[in-house]
Amino acid sequence: MPEATHNGWRAGWRRTGLVARHTLTIAFRLRLALLLGVTGAGLIAGSWELRTFNFGQLEVKFLGDFGLGVIGLFGSLLAVLATTHLFFDALGHGAAPMVLVRPVRRWEYVCGIHGGVATLLAGFVTFLSAVLAAVILTRDGAWSRPHLPVTVLLQAAGVTWLKLVLIAAMALFVCSFTSSALFASCASLMLVLAAQLRRFAPEHGAARLLRAWPDLGILDAGELLAGGRAAGAPWLAGLTLYWAAYIVLFDELSSHVFRRREC
Amino acid sequence: MKRNGASPWALEFAGFAKWYPIGWLGAGRRTAVAGLTLQLAPGQVLGILGPNGSGKSTVLKALAGLIRASAGSCRIFGHEAGSDAARARVGYLPESPRFPPLLTAREVLAFCAGLSGFAGFHRELRVQQMLHWSGLVEVADRPIGGYSKGMVQRLGVAQAILHDPDLVLLDEPADGLDPVARLGLNQLLCDLAAHGRTIVVASHLLAQADSICDRIALLGAGRLLAEGTPAELLGRESTAVEPTPLEKLFLERFAAHA
Repeated sequence: MPEATHNGWRAGWRRTGLVARHTLTIAFRLRLALLLGVTGAGLIAGSWELRTFNFGQLEVKFLGDFGLGVIGLFGSLLAVLATTHLFFDALGHGAAPMVLVRPVRRWEYVCGIHGGVATLLAGFVTFLSAVLAAVILTRDGAWSRPHLPVTVLLQAAGVTWLKLVLIAAMALFVCSFTSSALFASCASLMLVLAAQLRRFAPEHGAARLLRAWPDLGILDAGELLAGGRAAGAPWLAGLTLYWAAYIVLFDELSSHVFRRREC
Repeated sequence: MKRNGASPWALEFAGFAKWYPIGWLGAGRRTAVAGLTLQLAPGQVLGILGPNGSGKSTVLKALAGLIRASAGSCRIFGHEAGSDAARARVGYLPESPRFPPLLTAREVLAFCAGLSGFAGFHRELRVQQMLHWSGLVEVADRPIGGYSKGMVQRLGVAQAILHDPDLVLLDEPADGLDPVARLGLNQLLCDLAAHGRTIVVASHLLAQADSICDRIALLGAGRLLAEGTPAELLGRESTAVEPTPLEKLFLERFAAHA
């Protein structure tokens, strides 16, 4: 007989971890992650050949901008597509009912999927950041120059990961109430676009309600690169708090909606 | 070890109904099950029979806690279906189960065992036992995408009984199984029942229901048409778990060929 108790926070987090690990195992074997990872790495490596199109910027700055742009774009696609695919694949194939019939709470299932996708995204960002670092390192003396210190690159990669995890949370929220993977993917990408342009929302009238939507522009790594200096701890702490608040909000909303959903 | 609560019934439907809103703004409704009142004592095997769309899967999903009652109630060992206490005692095989094709049977069973509370050595041991039981040891580390339908079905049954539940819900368990595997499944259900487990089987196979079920519920268009023991319904004693003449022929030829 099972030796562990089903009740309590500890058991809940244990099950969440199991769902996350299970999700990650499936996600790592998806061709989608491999395809986006290899294509992204190829593009970043190829940026060396494109550095003459630097729009008058410093070469290292161009390489960093281009590389982080690729990580952000491909990572956003991976965050949305992997989340919707994994969510609806389990629901449509009857694997989710076999999980949910056990003493697994809906929030554990939702947070588990999100945790698995977040870990996948961490691997994705780490891999492409390593390729980017290698490209920059190839350029003689790049690390010793003040234009792009290693701490800035690390911070930029970290902030990009935060952004991608938030995008995955938004996609999971859409998945929780929709019934089609294609619709959820398209709707999530539109919402990501709205969040990216959120800073242009009007500051008056009814449209200012749009300002409740998360501002992905705040999580743009390009802002860090433009400064060329590592961000201070207070700024990073504020950014992380802003991110965490939206993660909790979206995961709570997803769990609440999914709790009412019948499989 | 039986862990029955205060209720004398393993499962109990009281005026259970399930309908789904349809049409513009959900103004209409499609009734899946209506006014179902049914009880089953612990240790019995209930066969739910009926044509497609009669509500068999809905009844099993309600017991599994995957859908909520639109009216009435559904209880398992005295607990509301879907509650933590009820779900800890239920094993469920959905109709035509599918698993992530890139995973292996060992990974799926280990995941299910972990969710059911097994950990460490006990988890590995239980997974190995279920692989042996389902005859999937040889292919345990191959991707499920390459499995036959029968192998997937056996894996589905294995995950349903892996945690030794008090109530086993099987939706078309013989679907895709060859006669040998089907007889093995029938024997397993009899063994589970002999060990005090309560079993609910939704099936199209009338012969299977006749041979293994203590009670039979006939559903039609979401309504309970008849309920009782096979003897009560058929006016004769139920047959034992024996192969039909055609199955006997199949088994003889299969054994000779093998």
